[in-house]
Formats: sequence, C-alpha cells, structure tokens
Amino acid sequence: MPRLIAWCCGIVAVSTISLAAQQPKPKPPAAADWAALAKLPDLTGVWEAPTVGRGGQGAAVAPAPVPQLTPAYAARKRELDARDFDDTDAANCLPTGMPAVMGHPYPYEFLLTPGKVTIITEAYMQVRHIYTDGRPLPADPDPTFNGTSIGRWDRGTLVVETIGFSPLTTIARNTPHSDKMRIVERFHLTGPDTMSVETTVIDPEALMRPWTTTRTLARHRDWTIREYVCEENNRNFLDAQGKAGVRLGLPAKKE
Amino acid sequence: MKPIPRAACRTILMIAMICGVATVAWSHHSAAPVFEMNAEKTVMGVVKQVDWTNPHIWIWLDVPNESGRAETFGFEGMSPNFLARRGWTRTSLLPGMRITVTFRPLKDGKAGGMFMTGRLEDGKVLTSAGAQ
Repeated sequence: MPRLIAWCCGIVAVSTISLAAQQPKPKPPAAADWAALAKLPDLTGVWEAPTVGRGGQGAAVAPAPVPQLTPAYAARKRELDARDFDDTDAANCLPTGMPAVMGHPYPYEFLLTPGKVTIITEAYMQVRHIYTDGRPLPADPDPTFNGTSIGRWDRGTLVVETIGFSPLTTIARNTPHSDKMRIVERFHLTGPDTMSVETTVIDPEALMRPWTTTRTLARHRDWTIREYVCEENNRNFLDAQGKAGVRLGLPAKKE
Repeated sequence: MKPIPRAACRTILMIAMICGVATVAWSHHSAAPVFEMNAEKTVMGVVKQVDWTNPHIWIWLDVPNESGRAETFGFEGMSPNFLARRGWTRTSLLPGMRITVTFRPLKDGKAGGMFMTGRLEDGKVLTSAGAQ
C-alpha cells in the first residue's frame, strides 16, 4: 500500500512538472508595464449602447444582418422554432453567454491592467477576462458561457479572439453553435467617448459564412457599475413547456 | 406649416420614449408573451409597497374596486439600474402616495401589468423611460 501511494504521488508530481513546463509562469507587472498602458487607446470607463433608453433618439440602427446557416443547422433551427417557446431561459435568470452578452441594454466597464483587459458586464453581473500578455488560446478549454479569450492590439484596435462555449449558449435565438465556434471582436475608439465593437462569429459547421455585426457604445465618465442580482426578485419565468409567465403572489415583506 | 404646440411635442416625445424603451431595453425577458402590448389600461390607487429590486422594480398598488374593497395590483417596471440613471430614485414612489398608473395588462387577466407611466398628485410623471 505505501508503495502504491508513493507511485501515485510520483505520477501527480510528474504531471505537475510537465504542466508547469508548458505554461510559463506569469511575471509580476513592473513599473514599465503599468506605464505602457498609458500609450494604449483609452478604453477604460463605463460604456453603453447610445440607443438604450433614448427611445430612438440615438443614431439610427440599420437592420442587423442575419446569420446564414448551413442546411443541417437551418433544419435544427426550424425544429426549435416549431416548439414555439415564448421566451428564453434569460427569463429564469440564466445569463445569455457570448455573443449576446455584449448586446445587453446595460452598461459595460472596461479595465486595462498589464497583460489583461477586463470587461465587467452589469447585466447578470458577469466578467470577461481577456488576456493580452501574449499567451496562446488553450487547445481545449472547458466550455463556458463567455468562452476563453485572448486579445492583442492591432495599432489602435483591440482584437479579441474567443473559443470554448457552453452548449447552453446560442449564436442567436434558436440557433445553436458547434464546438468549433470562434468569435473575433474588434474594439476601437471612433471619438473621444464613442467606441465601435465589430463582432464576427465564425462556425464552419453552423454558418455558411462568418456573421459580422457592429455596435456603437457611448462612454459615460460619471457612471458607475451597479449591482444586478437577477434572482433578487425575479417574478418572470419560462416553464419546461416553453410557456412564459409572471408570478404575482403577495409582495415579499422587506422588513 | 404650423409649428407643433409644445405640449403636443412633449406628448409625442414621451410616447416615442416609452415605445423605444419597450422595444429596445427589455432584455431580461420578452414582454409580448406575458403582457398585452397593444392594450393600455389606467387605474388610480394608493402605493402599498415598492420593490426597488432587480431584474425589475415592482410597484404594488391598492386599487378600490366596485364594492369599495382594495384590490392589490402588481406592476413590473424597468430595473433600478436603468431607472436610477434616468431620474428615478428608490424614494420616487413611497407607500401612501396616490398615483394614476397606465399599464399594459397581464395576458392572464390577473391584476397587474407592465408599468408605463405613473402620474403623482403633484403632477409629477414617472415613466418607464425616466422621471420628468
């Protein structure tokens, strides 16, 4: 038995060493790394789509292009459309995941630190971690709602590549993706407080061609991100049969 | 062309704001499956409770019915996050205030709906797009 334990420990030790050899240990940021941030386009601050809440007073929005699906995925979409669900699981507080997480009518805060861009998404209180330290994308990341992202600066544009999405996320309503979905986003300033976000979804199994949409964000220097706990008082629901409803009941006592 | 009177302008602007918000900013759930989006009702009552909560605020209003007894209506509004950036505060509506609420009724016929506007006794108007 002790020999077995020793043998197991040995295997663990060897695997740890080989893992460590593959991933260079990140260096702590030096003063020069912090200073280098000042030379990058200033994406920091709180941003929101300008049409939100302005009741159409914002810039006119051209109809977004529709994703062109492969025959197999078009058939799958028809099946899902035929279920005629009233709504999505967002009504049950499930976050949408990428790419829809970047289309909320709520603000986003961008933070720049050495080797990383962080996007705090107010809706559903989510965070996107975009590593800009030169690391490659992992070969086979665990599937997640927002995927695994790396970024690089292409002159004045932050180019973000994301892979590894949960099957619970979709390209669009009733439009599943394959495990080969990749999303490329290009963020660049178009004015002192305006930013263009171009999003391209690439999925050779689901899409006939890459699907690109563009959104403009406006910066609000005086805004801060607020808390958003969807389960705090969610009275909306979508049941297993796809029927949406509202739970009225008695008002919750707040004392 | 005659200039449009200022009051009419304000009304048009308010309608545009409400319609815009209803289509653009309702991200948590679709409104059409649960509310009659083409209908509008108005009730007058006394605020019983305000839930200044995510993902939506809820305004509970005691409305006297034909027999004189109060029936409690529930109105779903935007989120506190959205409204706090547009002139509302968590004390804009307080228990005891008398308001006239315009709403999109619930499809299931229950007492309540989607909050559109609330007119206070002092003439102040709170809308789903912001306070005015």
